[in-house]
Amino acid sequence: MNYVPGTASLIDDIDKKHLVLLRDGRTLIGYLRSIDQFANLVFHQTVERIHVGKKFGDIPRGIFIVRGENVVLLGEIDVEKPCDTVLQQVSIEEILEEQRLQQQTKQETEKVKMQVLKDRGLSIPKADNLDEY
Amino acid sequence: VCAPEWPEKGEEWSDGEDGTEMDCGLLQAMAEEDEEINVYNEETFGMDLDSHGTTDGHGDDLQFGKPSPPTAPPDPKPPSPRRVPSPPRQKPQYLPRTAPGHPGRFRGQRGGLGRGQMFEDPAVMRIVEGRPSLKVTKMHLFIMHAPMAPGSPVFSRQPLTPRQLYNQTGGFMFPPNRPCPSTPQPLTPKMMQLRFGANSPRPSPFYSPSSNPVQHLRYPGPVTQLHPQHKRLLSQKQHIKSEGWDPYCNLMTGKEKEWIIRLQMIQLQSENPYLEDYYYQEYYRRKEAKMAEEELGIRSKREPPKLTTPYITKTDSYTPVVHIEGSLGQVAVSTCYSPRRAIGAVHAEQKDTRQQRLEILSKIEKLFIVLLEVEETERMKTTVLSEAEEKRFMEKSQRKVAHIYSQLQDSGGEFLPFLLVSKGKKLVARLLPFLQRDSALKVLCIVTSNLPTLMSRDSDEALPVLYPPLRNVISGLTFSQLISLLKDLTSSESLTTYECLTLACQNKFGLSLLYALLSHGEKLLSSGVPLEPSIGDFETWTDVIFQVAGQLSQCSLVEPLLLPSNLLTLFCRYLDKRTVHQLKSNMESATGFLALPS
Repeated sequence: MNYVPGTASLIDDIDKKHLVLLRDGRTLIGYLRSIDQFANLVFHQTVERIHVGKKFGDIPRGIFIVRGENVVLLGEIDVEKPCDTVLQQVSIEEILEEQRLQQQTKQETEKVKMQVLKDRGLSIPKADNLDEY
Repeated sequence: VCAPEWPEKGEEWSDGEDGTEMDCGLLQAMAEEDEEINVYNEETFGMDLDSHGTTDGHGDDLQFGKPSPPTAPPDPKPPSPRRVPSPPRQKPQYLPRTAPGHPGRFRGQRGGLGRGQMFEDPAVMRIVEGRPSLKVTKMHLFIMHAPMAPGSPVFSRQPLTPRQLYNQTGGFMFPPNRPCPSTPQPLTPKMMQLRFGANSPRPSPFYSPSSNPVQHLRYPGPVTQLHPQHKRLLSQKQHIKSEGWDPYCNLMTGKEKEWIIRLQMIQLQSENPYLEDYYYQEYYRRKEAKMAEEELGIRSKREPPKLTTPYITKTDSYTPVVHIEGSLGQVAVSTCYSPRRAIGAVHAEQKDTRQQRLEILSKIEKLFIVLLEVEETERMKTTVLSEAEEKRFMEKSQRKVAHIYSQLQDSGGEFLPFLLVSKGKKLVARLLPFLQRDSALKVLCIVTSNLPTLMSRDSDEALPVLYPPLRNVISGLTFSQLISLLKDLTSSESLTTYECLTLACQNKFGLSLLYALLSHGEKLLSSGVPLEPSIGDFETWTDVIFQVAGQLSQCSLVEPLLLPSNLLTLFCRYLDKRTVHQLKSNMESATGFLALPS
């Protein structure tokens, strides 16, 4: 139930477990402890979850304060709901390694692509540099 | 010499070369500033502060004594006795990370005014104990100007944990004298301001703690409030017990939650909630109506809903950002004065049908806005208005109605293009109650004469929306007018009467309209009022009756929107028993109701 008519409010989400996706692509899971009017968030017992393919790894991060403008989306996690996922949890080292490999392959393909475009005289700006549209 | 007395870290005070001189100069500045603070506080709060005395039994944590007069600068009051009872709080909330070799200077009770320059080490954070100087910024908070309702608890109180007491430092507000919200106090606007903030004064101990922040959100005076039902639902929700104890729960205190809620609600204040927050208002209005209906068991006439949102005089000046005291940063004020820049729409002058439809739709949109204003004025009539005001509103309304009417008429086609669009039908339906008699009659004429077209092109089945207002218009017709309408209905340019009537019978709206017309005719005839018919009226009338009767008895009928009860009486008048009987069964089979309780 919303305290604030006609708008959204995070008041009811306090002390509940949430998953937040940040603008830099990170996924954090933690207990939302405090908010403010800019939707800055304070997370407790935060875990950064990295997904690569079907594997994921959790890095415990402790307390996180997220500036409101960096949130893409935020959602409550139902702790009671049975989790039947195909994802497989691995150790931190493994997932970081996987991530590194993924980044590497991505960069390589990107490089090749840029080269091909360059040969044809085209250039496409990288999406992460564009903050406005 | 002007070395400030610091109980704990005395030995850490070092004397750099310029240290002492700086000390003196700074302390002088500090002293002057303190003087200013004192003056300000006097002006704002009056000199009722129990400055040198004891803490009172309120457990009023935030009461600070005045520091000693500035003529004795090197004597800031030691923090302990006069202040908060709980010792942990006294630990200064800063971490003086003095880099080696840099002397640190601590303001202590002097107040954290961000005297960055006096700390040679930029890493030393400012101390926020003591009284900060308060900026009284102009706020668009109308809460200020209203008296507080006596006895209304403004803040909820929760049992304070030591951690929460700890929390109270940092940008707190200086409390006015002995805040005891249960007793009505004449609050000056400035005082009211200071009650905001996450650390506003705690209420007296005899309040029962409540975890519902909203229950105590009673704004003094005219402010947008939650619908009472909404409030009730919220408080009900609070009582849902949660399983499992989370040792870290309620890190965010109820006060803080209230603060946020308040802040957000401030931004939602509106002087015309029915217009600006339509869906919320409508939702609760309907809920209420439903509940009332269930309670009463009958569908009584709905009174205009009594909203708890009084009207607020909006300031004429508009500031895009508002700085709210006690909060960091600025809050954007959402108004209609600065919407996002719309993409400049370029109107192409193509005449294809899609374009035409879009044009019609855009016209309808514009007219709807005017209509909404008219309806709003109509709704506002229920509030008490002065004679002159009411008259003015009515005139304005009438002008708007006339405008809409002329717009509908003028776009070559006389209503028809609008009526062919379902949105246009809705617009006309909602406009009809406001129209003058002859204008409304004109609309009815258009509808009846173009009935076949309207029916065939009504893919959304939006025609029935026109039925209720048109029925009202019909009930005011004279006999001659009625006859001419019936003539229009049955004589279309391309179709025979037979075809017209068949079509009408197959269409819900058409049939209902026909029934309504006939019913009205019967009413007129049986009422005994002199009819003043024109020549040939009665013949037309009887012709129509026979034609209709023939039609109705033969073809299959759809269920009409409303089956008038006097139809069979009408038919009995003119037709033989057998035909009437056939009609009756045909009509009844369509509706499932008895055509006449005979």
